[in-house]
Amino acid sequence: MPMASLEETPPLSPVLLLGMAARPLPPAVVEAVLRQALRRVQAGHPEVFARLRPLGDTAFLIDPVDVPFKAVVRPGAQPPALCVVRDDQPAPAAAVVISGALATLTDLLQGRADGDALFFSRDLAIEGDTEAALTLRNALDGADIDVFEIMLAVLGPLAGPARRLARPGRTLLRGLRDDMGRVQAALTAPLARRCAAQAAELAALEDQVGELRRRLHQRPARTRSG
Amino acid sequence: MPAMHTEIPELICPAGTPAALRAAVEAGADAVYLGFRDATNARNFPGLNFDEGEFREGVDVAHARGCKVFVAINTFPPAGRPGPWHDAVDLAAKGGADAVILADVGMLDYAATRHPTLRRHLSVQASASNAEAIRFYQEAFGVARVVLPRVLTLAEIAALNRQVTVETEIFAFGGLCVMAEGRCALSSYATGQSPNTNGVCSPASHVRYERRDGKQISRLGAFTIDKIADGTPAGYPTLCKGRFVAGGCSGHLFEEPTSLDAIGLLPKLAATGARALKIEGRQRGRAYVTRVVGAYRKALDALARGETPVSDGTLDALTEGQRQTTGAYLKSWQ
Repeated sequence: MPMASLEETPPLSPVLLLGMAARPLPPAVVEAVLRQALRRVQAGHPEVFARLRPLGDTAFLIDPVDVPFKAVVRPGAQPPALCVVRDDQPAPAAAVVISGALATLTDLLQGRADGDALFFSRDLAIEGDTEAALTLRNALDGADIDVFEIMLAVLGPLAGPARRLARPGRTLLRGLRDDMGRVQAALTAPLARRCAAQAAELAALEDQVGELRRRLHQRPARTRSG
Repeated sequence: MPAMHTEIPELICPAGTPAALRAAVEAGADAVYLGFRDATNARNFPGLNFDEGEFREGVDVAHARGCKVFVAINTFPPAGRPGPWHDAVDLAAKGGADAVILADVGMLDYAATRHPTLRRHLSVQASASNAEAIRFYQEAFGVARVVLPRVLTLAEIAALNRQVTVETEIFAFGGLCVMAEGRCALSSYATGQSPNTNGVCSPASHVRYERRDGKQISRLGAFTIDKIADGTPAGYPTLCKGRFVAGGCSGHLFEEPTSLDAIGLLPKLAATGARALKIEGRQRGRAYVTRVVGAYRKALDALARGETPVSDGTLDALTEGQRQTTGAYLKSWQ
């Protein structure tokens, strides 16, 4: 069933709700945290940034569609640069736009998901400079970046309590995500059935139109005009 | 007439990066294939492939686990500039590669003359699809294995294996190329660059994705490849996977975006006498390598125990266009 685009309708998930709750946060706070994380990735994985250096000042707009912020990153710049804006504010110009759910983007960053597969399934959208996007994807895929450990390190003295909360938190989030998926499926099921029926009717009509066109093309011109 | 092989085929797996190589080795590859970071291999994509240090380290990692390393040097050097291709063959030999995968007759001659003990495999890029061609490469350059084109049926592969003494390798999973490989000019036509000389089909530098009217538009050079509605699976932006209007109808004239998955055909593939099965996808991430190699290792081990491997559908999500095919293997028409 054709769905609305990632940009228009992010998937129903705990991240979406948490993102709504995070909306009052000033972008500067999110930016400070992400800059710290970027510095830690840079320190821990210099080979990634060496591979990205040919990108120079190329800017990537990273748009986690279920979070009310988006980031513009220049990973090939010296030093790498990052800024965060709200999703309803104009972002600085970027050569590449990469959009997807936060969990999808995180999996991609950690090499846990295959970028091509996410692109085929339309869970990941790319616009702009495809070569730069591919360079970034391939460089990140080769590194073992652990986003969870990096975010814990950014928390400093709060890392210990955060780590203790993480395991039950992850289980809770996973359960919530599954539950919300079921709720979403239940709510949209009647619509999905109707759309599937309409899609089948449309496909049958397209086949008929195609067949009619083929027959029309096969007929001699004189017969067609007469 | 040579006896048919009955043993379990080797599993040959893609390694686009050192991380993918480690993933393939850990998932149970019998051999990995890789390329150097230049136009000497047919996956010359930005950020992919190995420099000399990574290659040597990769050979150590693979050999420590009993996994072989094949180096793909399978593009055709431009006239008068074979230097980088010669260097690649020399590096593969010096670095401990178990075989080089070559397509160009000049490179085959160079490797056979300079490194006679280095095993030579004929790349699919050479498009050797009949016994006479295969025998020529075997007799002229001592080729030990031929990677067969993806356009042959199981019956044709079995018939070929009865006629030749050289080992054959066939594709089991991944992207499909339905053209005469090494001779396809579609990418050159659209972008000026081709997999045959530049090592890249539909280079990313010529690909643009745009969103317009609720559709994703894929462009390759000056050509619109496809317009895909939201929620509809996508494929690679190559001309051969494009949707065109002809005879008043819109459709995929050459090939639909789909991936080969022959896991359900493994007993039949083994029965053709093919010595090795290849997983396509050096351009894919290590998550792909882990899952595909793991699934095929499990299936081949099941086959070795006399069981019939069954696809559990876990690889479906990794396929192009989210669709699987058995390709030409069961094709009943020519």
